[in-house]
Amino acid sequence: MNYEHPTIRDRLAAEYVLGTMPGRARRRFEAQLKLSPVLRGLVSEWEARLTPMASSLEALPPPRRVWHAIEQRIRGNKGASRHPGFWNSLAFWRAAAGVATAALLILGIVMTNVAEPPTAPKPMMVVVMDDMQTRSPAITASWEPGSHSKLIHLRVIGHAEMAPDTAWELWMLPGKNRPPVSLGLITTHELQTLEVPAQIAPKLDNAWGLGMTVEPAGGSPSGAPTNPMLYLGPCVKT
Amino acid sequence: MSAPTNAELTDMLARCALADQRAFAALYEATSAKLFAVAVRITRRRDWAEEVLQESFVRIWHHAGSYDGVKSAPMTWMTAIVRNRALDWLRRPTEVQSSEEMDAHMANVADEAPGPEQLAALSAQAGRLHSCMEQLSDDQKQSIMLAFFHGLSHGELSEQMGKPLGTVKTWVRRGLDRLKQCLDGLQET
Repeated sequence: MNYEHPTIRDRLAAEYVLGTMPGRARRRFEAQLKLSPVLRGLVSEWEARLTPMASSLEALPPPRRVWHAIEQRIRGNKGASRHPGFWNSLAFWRAAAGVATAALLILGIVMTNVAEPPTAPKPMMVVVMDDMQTRSPAITASWEPGSHSKLIHLRVIGHAEMAPDTAWELWMLPGKNRPPVSLGLITTHELQTLEVPAQIAPKLDNAWGLGMTVEPAGGSPSGAPTNPMLYLGPCVKT
Repeated sequence: MSAPTNAELTDMLARCALADQRAFAALYEATSAKLFAVAVRITRRRDWAEEVLQESFVRIWHHAGSYDGVKSAPMTWMTAIVRNRALDWLRRPTEVQSSEEMDAHMANVADEAPGPEQLAALSAQAGRLHSCMEQLSDDQKQSIMLAFFHGLSHGELSEQMGKPLGTVKTWVRRGLDRLKQCLDGLQET
């Protein structure tokens, strides 16, 4: 699909917002959307044009259980809310210790298999990304392995700052010398959730690790990292 | 309860970005009924709409910090999140969604296709968009409204309206072109 031609680009943005794109085209477009601030601008414009149509719908109060479910998921925002006790669990800290050891091997990009820690009641994939300069943990990531729609829960440690006109881009590192795959842009917020694009989600459980690079605002223009990994860590199954 | 103003909603979102759960509860109170209506209309199933609403509000909570009041009105931003989640839900890879589910969805759409009443309601709520919609041909209007309110793809629109895919695509494209011309033209005057 030609995303460079202004008219085509605008039409695609319109069709995306209207919702007429079939599933695969939609996911392809969303991948482009992550990379292109221009495209995101066009989408915002179309949202502003078309969304007022929704105001004609009669309000319909949702059942109370929806709020309870939401509350469950966001409560205890200071910790990893979806997995209470997880950050305190022994398995997690064992995994983190394994990661610290593994970090020594990272620069050689050696495919290490971190020793499997004892299994926790619910298996989780955990990544502790270390700051490659300070060698201290910078971001932790976790997700439930196996689920078809993947949400990565991220926790930014400390008060990281993003330089103006730059973006943080998170990468899946498939390992075995295969190139990094963009998972999208992240913020400096302490807690955030990143939805993994559908075509990447099935591969995430088998990835070697995750990394973060500093990219120009809007993300890497080429789809490949333009800077070395600033934060990096291997995936560990707890 | 009177509808909250844009300034009030923007303030609630700003406080959500600071992890203020009380502000988030207020935001939910103020907007969930409107947003649930959007989710129900697109998914046509209450249980799916509940899932979509839940996912959307979790997303709103986590992304409140990236809301930009200069770029979009708060309700536009939140409605777009709900519509996108609902569309993703409908466009899930087919191994998740059975064809029976999709057939049932299409049958529901046939029962409740947006008609003149929907346009009349639009006139009260969003006068400018309404007057621009009125300038489209009936086919253009109908296909855009079916896509917007029911999340129909080009292929589903073609099936629903009993017209060839190419024809339906042209209606949608010309309709959107005219809508843009009309809305942007009005904006400038």
